[in-house]
Amino acid sequence: MNLFRSEEHARRWDGFNPAMDHAIKPLAEWAEAFANPFFRERGRADYISWTRSDDGAAAFRALRSSLPVPADH
Amino acid sequence: MTDDGAPLELLDRGYAAIMRRVVATGTAPHFTELAAELGTPIEQARQLAHELVAITPGWMASDTDLFASFPPFNLQPTQYRVTVDGVGGWYAQCGLEATAIRWLVPGQTVRIEAPCLCCGEAIVVEMHDEEITTTEPAEIVGYTSDVIGGSADSRPFR
Repeated sequence: MNLFRSEEHARRWDGFNPAMDHAIKPLAEWAEAFANPFFRERGRADYISWTRSDDGAAAFRALRSSLPVPADH
Repeated sequence: MTDDGAPLELLDRGYAAIMRRVVATGTAPHFTELAAELGTPIEQARQLAHELVAITPGWMASDTDLFASFPPFNLQPTQYRVTVDGVGGWYAQCGLEATAIRWLVPGQTVRIEAPCLCCGEAIVVEMHDEEITTTEPAEIVGYTSDVIGGSADSRPFR
């Protein structure tokens, strides 16, 4: 889960996995995924309870649906 | 009480106590300090620490009770150096979690400096609340080589 100077740099990385080629995304797209309430709410005093609430569960489902999975899944 | 772990109220207080410390100092409390803050027996705080890193998800330094990663931060240095309003001392768990640090420091500027793993040349990102204000170079991408939220063993290596 790393940042690279460009798509080409990501593909040249020793740890590059071709099955996850589609996981190369512009920074802004990843930043949007990591703006999900699952991340925004971390400062709450009741964060763990919140993650188990309806709102937390809905945020987690939305997050999961936005994340890439391997091409062979 | 949760199914087979700590009471939910204790998980909440423990998580908040750890996060407060990490945000304020870049370091996590030892479980003995956590016990004192939460008013629990030391062994309960040690178990709570492990339960919380499994939930968050972070990880302990291998075969220890010492926090290594508590997302979005890392307690061991990573290549993702973080400054907040010009003050350093934090590291991001990974390049993607780095973009989520801003939610814990509202109204402040988060700057991430890192070497590109391909070439070692610099990457710089600055964020302020909703805005990404700096990306150097402009073509920065994020990438994960495996499923986010996958197996615990692979978390430090994606």
